[in-house]
Amino acid sequence: MGADGHIRGRTAQDEQDAKELLRRCARDVVDVAEAIREVSARTSTALFAPTLTTSARRRPRTGLVAQWALLRALTNKEGLGGSAITAAKGMGRVLGAAGEVLGRESLAALVAVTSLRLRIAAVLFDHPEFERDPGMRRLLDAVTADRDLEAVRALRALFRDQGAQRALSGLAPLMAELLAIRALLDEDPKNDETGWALAAGRELSADPLHGISASHLAGMDQGEGAAEAVDLTDQERQTIATEGSLLGFLRNIEVLSTDGRILVQNVRGPDGVVRYVVQAPGMAPGRPRNDSPQDFVGAWRNLFMTDSPYTRSILLALADYGIPRGAELALIGHSEGGIAVMNLAQNEDFCRAYRVTHVIVVGSPVDNKKPADPRTWVASITNQHDIVPVLDGRGAGSAFNPHPNWYEVDYTGPTHEFPLCHMIREYIEHLRTVIPEAREDVDKALTAYRGPVVRTRAYQLKDRAHPPEGYPFLTVPTTSLATTTGPVDVPVRYYDSSAAHLCFAVDAAAARSLLPDVTWLVPSRLGRRALAVLSLYEHRCSTIGPYAEIALSVLVDDLWRPRPFDVATDLLRRVDLRRTGRYVLSLAVSSEESRVVAQEVWGQPAVRTAAEVDLMNRAVGVTAPELGLTVEGRLGPGLRCPEADWVLYGRRGDSTVRTLVRAHGRLRLHTGTGVRLQLDTAAAEPMAGQLRRLGIDTARPLFVLSCPQFMLHRSAGAVLPR
Amino acid sequence: MVTESLRTLPSSDELLDQAGRLRADADLMAGYARRLLATASALTGCPAAPEWSRPTLEQQAAACGTAAEQLRTAAEALLAHRRA
Repeated sequence: MGADGHIRGRTAQDEQDAKELLRRCARDVVDVAEAIREVSARTSTALFAPTLTTSARRRPRTGLVAQWALLRALTNKEGLGGSAITAAKGMGRVLGAAGEVLGRESLAALVAVTSLRLRIAAVLFDHPEFERDPGMRRLLDAVTADRDLEAVRALRALFRDQGAQRALSGLAPLMAELLAIRALLDEDPKNDETGWALAAGRELSADPLHGISASHLAGMDQGEGAAEAVDLTDQERQTIATEGSLLGFLRNIEVLSTDGRILVQNVRGPDGVVRYVVQAPGMAPGRPRNDSPQDFVGAWRNLFMTDSPYTRSILLALADYGIPRGAELALIGHSEGGIAVMNLAQNEDFCRAYRVTHVIVVGSPVDNKKPADPRTWVASITNQHDIVPVLDGRGAGSAFNPHPNWYEVDYTGPTHEFPLCHMIREYIEHLRTVIPEAREDVDKALTAYRGPVVRTRAYQLKDRAHPPEGYPFLTVPTTSLATTTGPVDVPVRYYDSSAAHLCFAVDAAAARSLLPDVTWLVPSRLGRRALAVLSLYEHRCSTIGPYAEIALSVLVDDLWRPRPFDVATDLLRRVDLRRTGRYVLSLAVSSEESRVVAQEVWGQPAVRTAAEVDLMNRAVGVTAPELGLTVEGRLGPGLRCPEADWVLYGRRGDSTVRTLVRAHGRLRLHTGTGVRLQLDTAAAEPMAGQLRRLGIDTARPLFVLSCPQFMLHRSAGAVLPR
Repeated sequence: MVTESLRTLPSSDELLDQAGRLRADADLMAGYARRLLATASALTGCPAAPEWSRPTLEQQAAACGTAAEQLRTAAEALLAHRRA
């Protein structure tokens, strides 16, 4: 091998001719293979034809001879081969499958494998490193010789020696051929169609690995699609290209990342005409199914189907963007984004509405697709070591070129590791340094789009339109109230909270002594005792931000007409009709905004303190060092109870403030035995003195109400004239 | 007896058609054998052609020839059955 990468003594033209000859021979051979397969199918039909079966029963002497001759022609391993019998059902199907299971491949399959091996030879001519690598050589030998166990061992060894990433990317240029050979030679007849499609360069309709129907997988990807205009961050806005160019559009895709967004831009071309550019990123990493259409299942559907939530979402985004009918469009996509934009380009209605002038895809398997408008200029750029573009069954060694009019670049980049070689950043770098001529060619084709960007809009795509967060519980009318830290929307809504309410039976006189010095505010009595509640909250998401909350309150009677058993009867009433409630004696919160809201909107005596609260599971852990308060323990299984709404009372000047709290979550009632409260401070304020006076510092809760995850909203405080 | 004669006539024609198709397929298989041999000889002297390619293609061409013979035999057997 010379420094130029060519074998000594041969010119680049010789090598090109040799590869072309191999690919041409591979095409010829697979044509023969398909024709032999058709002969086998016709011979099978003759063998199982009802005419012959019926007449052979009547004239068995000659009939059986004819049947035997046909069976021999179909099963002779020196002729059409062991599993040449092809029948959709009945005995023919059983015999055909039996032939495969016994490892007697049909002549048609063997000839197709020869074609695939010639394609592999063409790839190896470009990648001599595969033949030098003993692991890869072992795998190639095992697969082409149909030695499954040996193939599995070789693949395992390859992964062990090189690491999965290198091994996968090393196999990428040969992936389609290896999968086809495996499908043709394995014992599972279900894989045959996939193998033949891969060998003959036909459109795939099933998973190339396991013959799983694409429609089956695509069925998981349901949704009408949705698109919502979103703002770019300041940093993103600064990096978005301001001039139209291939690298600029690809860099925009890189900026968008794979979080379900696409970008639509207006570009004023050199001729002064405004054109539109759609830029679609690839598949998002992570779970196969997520809320975004850019997931694995979506990619799979895009690959085999012409319609998907991704494609539908882009259509909705374009409708929202307001592109006039007949406007010129360039569609740019990476990976799954490339498949989605190609799906758009092959949509006849779409092409009637807009003039799709260019489709440029990078690292996308789009060979199964074809634009509806024959004038559309298509460019496909792929790295031979990138596995993703091989998913359509056309690898580096493919003997077929289904789109001779496309501008295709299938180059060998310096990055071989997958998924690195699939990343848009690598493609951008390679277009800059490895294949600059391809970049120049595409930019030349995009001349009409090479001007200033005059408008940019990002859209968040989704599988389906979703109701607002917290719907319907938290979709309530709101009003804005002024506070010293700025306006606050009320009701304050809490989208994700945890709570534990530690309920203590306390001395009624002690509770009364902590309440404001007014005659009409008295603790509700449970026999001779009153009920104090230490509420611990972890608000992870709320309209006033995340914060922790520790509140000490006492149950109080109706402010105007206190009656015995008010508490019991109130439990049967709607919260807005209740007269009893909890008077908040003291409140500690971990954020300034929540302190101000509690103080100014709800009239509660709030202080700001640091607190760590963990109430997501049965273990309760609350630490507030400034309060000297620690609550630890483990809650038992508990009983489900109805959702508890509350009325909270506070004081503002000479008035009482009444706040309604509505909650939605799974509340549970526990015994208080597993929870322990510890007070490590000699100070009285804040809260510790009250806890001591109520005797809570040494007592166990009577019971605990807990809710590890729930939503709530707190109304604006209503000022009562008392 | 009448029923028997009515059923025999169309099946005889079908058997004749099948025999004709088998003969045509035998000719096709012989043609495929020649195409595979032509491909094998085209690869002779090609520096990129693997060593196994020529013998494999010749072997598969021979299998095509065998299949052609056996299809002809099957066609003859069908005709004999029709005549019986």
